[in-house]
Amino acid sequence: MADLASRISKPEEGAAPQVDDPTEGANSVGIVENAYDVEVKLADLQNDAESPLFSVQSFEQLGLPKAINDGLLAMNFKKPSKIQERALPLMISDPPTNMIAQSQSGTGKTAAFVLTCLARVDLAKPQQPQALLLAPSRELARQIQGVVQTIGQFCENLIVQAAIPGEVSRETGVRASIVVGTPGTVMDLIRRRQFDVSQLKLLVIDEADNMLDQQGLGEQCVRVKTLLPKTIQILLFSATFPDNVHRFAQQFAPKANEIKLRHTELTVKGISQMYMDCPDEGKKYDVLCKLYGLMTIGSSVIFVRTRESANEIQRRMEADGHKVSALHGAFEGQNRDALLDDFRSGRSKVLITTNVLARGIDVSSVSMVINYDIPMKGPNAGMPDYETYLHRIGRTGRFGRVGVSISFVYDRRSYEALSDIANHYGIDLVQLSPDDWDLTEKKVQDVIKSSRARPDYAPNALGN
Amino acid sequence: MQRASPSPARSYDVASPHRADLAEIFNQDRNSPARHRQILETSRQEHTRIREEAERVLQEARLKEERDRVLEQRRKEEERIKTEQELAAERVRLNELKAKKIEIPPLLPDPEPPKPAPKPTPPAAVPPANKVDEPKPTSVLNGAGPFGSTAPTAQPSSGLFSAKAPPAPTPSPSPPVPAVAPAAKPANSVLGIGGLLNGTSQTNGTAGTTGAVPAAPPVAPTALAVPTIDRYTVIHKNLKGLRKMMAEQAKTNRALKERMGDMRRELRKCIGQLSAGAPGVNRSQQTKITNLLREALANQVQSQLIDPSDYVFEPRQPVEGAARNEPALPSLFIYLLNIFSKGAISQFINEASARPETADPVGVCVAATISEPDFLWRGKSMIDILLAKFRIVCPVLFGYRGSEKTEQGRARLGWWKDSGRWIGEQQHMDRMTGLGAGFAAISLRKFAASKKQNPYPARHYWTAMARIVNTPAVEISNTQCIVLKAMIENYEGKFIDAYGSAAVVALRTALVEFPARAPTKGAAVHSLEVLATLLKKNTGLTLG
Repeated sequence: MADLASRISKPEEGAAPQVDDPTEGANSVGIVENAYDVEVKLADLQNDAESPLFSVQSFEQLGLPKAINDGLLAMNFKKPSKIQERALPLMISDPPTNMIAQSQSGTGKTAAFVLTCLARVDLAKPQQPQALLLAPSRELARQIQGVVQTIGQFCENLIVQAAIPGEVSRETGVRASIVVGTPGTVMDLIRRRQFDVSQLKLLVIDEADNMLDQQGLGEQCVRVKTLLPKTIQILLFSATFPDNVHRFAQQFAPKANEIKLRHTELTVKGISQMYMDCPDEGKKYDVLCKLYGLMTIGSSVIFVRTRESANEIQRRMEADGHKVSALHGAFEGQNRDALLDDFRSGRSKVLITTNVLARGIDVSSVSMVINYDIPMKGPNAGMPDYETYLHRIGRTGRFGRVGVSISFVYDRRSYEALSDIANHYGIDLVQLSPDDWDLTEKKVQDVIKSSRARPDYAPNALGN
Repeated sequence: MQRASPSPARSYDVASPHRADLAEIFNQDRNSPARHRQILETSRQEHTRIREEAERVLQEARLKEERDRVLEQRRKEEERIKTEQELAAERVRLNELKAKKIEIPPLLPDPEPPKPAPKPTPPAAVPPANKVDEPKPTSVLNGAGPFGSTAPTAQPSSGLFSAKAPPAPTPSPSPPVPAVAPAAKPANSVLGIGGLLNGTSQTNGTAGTTGAVPAAPPVAPTALAVPTIDRYTVIHKNLKGLRKMMAEQAKTNRALKERMGDMRRELRKCIGQLSAGAPGVNRSQQTKITNLLREALANQVQSQLIDPSDYVFEPRQPVEGAARNEPALPSLFIYLLNIFSKGAISQFINEASARPETADPVGVCVAATISEPDFLWRGKSMIDILLAKFRIVCPVLFGYRGSEKTEQGRARLGWWKDSGRWIGEQQHMDRMTGLGAGFAAISLRKFAASKKQNPYPARHYWTAMARIVNTPAVEISNTQCIVLKAMIENYEGKFIDAYGSAAVVALRTALVEFPARAPTKGAAVHSLEVLATLLKKNTGLTLG
């Protein structure tokens, strides 16, 4: 995690770690094993408390039970991220206090609130609902359910249930200590008295800005809340909180502790952001297929505007040997689950999608995001959609890993929309061209390398 | 069975009067008893025909099922026999190793026993799943045997480099130094050699034991000839030279320039496309990769010919019957093998680091490609190119050790630097996770059912594990723990398949005793113990 710190710190502070002269080294601090081996100076990294992945503590120091700690280790989580380190003590302390937390994508928000749930739940009552987590889509609800189950795999008697269409039996109703669902289904279940909320201690809303902002979802959330005990602890999490939503959030979760970042700090620095200058719209397909030879790619996500282009891209890429899932509104419920499961499990490594997935979906091996179409919003899709851009590229570079995003432009309009987004966040976008692939390959490799190493990468994101 | 009913035309006429000719319907005779009988008779015949047909088809289907079942059974039997043969062969090798170990000199006075090697374990808790054909006495296997044999060799290896960052191209003529038994003060058994090689003395070594080094009899030349191990660094350097040479060639050879970049990108893409799933799911990628390498070997673009000896571990002589015996191969071929190896390693670092299970299909592809008979040179594979890269990016697999708190220690551990700065801890540990899983994915492949020769059989996995778990307590590093965990997780089954109950003992050493010995119990150490718990929970394998 310190690597991210290294990218963010300013060049003058981030002087290269000194490889001291051996004799000098012997006199410096705390040599442990070997008088002539020089201690690594990590001070410049460790002092950078602004890094979202910075932390000095261990999970054990946060006072989590051993079973939970073991679950984290089994998932290869070794140290808390900053949001976890900062937010967890506040969230698990007594008396319970509300929390509004905003942090970049891929910095461990989900684990933070899942840990809180696990810490609060009384496992002696495995079938009594005690924590309720709400998410905007069934995919996200299932994903969170998966995280709870994995981190909680050593907790005996832990039952986690998804309250999404088709998952709760009408006969038994909800019988789990932790319930993850979408607001509509949860409300129905409570109304039908199939979900006993009397002993709920915790309400978590993930992607809170999205949930509270949208008419339907927002109302449902408010209605669900009115059905719950008055003393319930409320946690709101999101990568972005526009001002109006933020005010609403403060009413929704009164007297909350808040952790919030300024929006200039939001772009994830580990993501190398580039754009490809395509000669015309028709050439985009060919260019797309070529991208996969330029660098080592694990999984990738391609965002497109229409179902038709999603299907066409899928056809072309499959012809080129890729295993592809195309996910868009034409598929429902369990079909969507199956497509996404293929992608999660690695049976398919390319996910083509319309905007359904921009938020929250976490597949840790995604190393490239492609904006095949620049995200737009407003009447006639005439405005660049800043938030969506951020959520999209946040699908890669998870937890401090290196990721790449490439946006396609081919005409004046798409070019202007992208520059607008770049200016909004103060990002330096690197231009790629499809004329000489040897050169483009070299450029991509250089960009990836420099984004890992240069402390002043994306300098505009700092200091304003 | 519906489709079994043929000749629809005929049945139409009779069985479906509605469709019959109008003339037929208005025929005067149509209600006469004779006519009825005739129709009844026809339909009876039709009924019988269909029935017979159905019975015939059913019979056929049964026969087919029976045949499939027999075939399947035969296949399973063959597989079993192959597995058993392989196991037997591995056992024999294991025994050879064991036999060699016996020459170890007596222990020097030893304040803290750094090695838990001779662990008399009760017959492994869980018998291995596979059928052990020639049941070795387990007690023998369980003994110090395997670990003991490798331990001494591991010792000097760390020594070679303990003094400084790897002295790159030194052709390491250092004597096969050995086994000063499990050095009392680990750092120094090593020191003798370290000093010899680099001329840097390490003061922390206690002079006392150093003297013992030369006294120790050289270990029998086992397969793990550690002193020459840095040959890999030399190969790695040669590969860098090759890359430059290719760039030079491309300046004058237009055909080469046009093809080389495309081939490189195509290879990289194919490796990236490899995915989990049913067998055969990556066939098209495998074919493309093999074809690219074949194309390079055919050398239509006339790349220069070069001597492959620079890229293999030991000198090779022509072998009778080998496809490729010539003293030089097309440089494009070696270059593409290099790109292929690099692609695999990069996939481990970039993808398996986040999701270790993705290493497996890459491992399958590597083993399949490298073992391809056309790509052997003088009867052996060119896997050393890949190993040279492993040696650089994940030295702990080859017995190198170091402290994460010191510059030199980090260099020895393969902690990466970007533009002169150490990469972050999380990133380093991620890399090690991917590489550990990748190493297992390559070294634990089964070739029982294949005619090809395994380029990197399981004994190398065993050796790598032994080198890590035999680390003296004070030198245990988080990096080693992470690599060890990654090379075991998801591969315990294959490991046990290969080594039976000996593997269970090895797992106990790695997941129970090794973490227990570690002086500081950080998250990395603890995660080994958690893996043991996880194995118990998921597979019922009790190690504790």
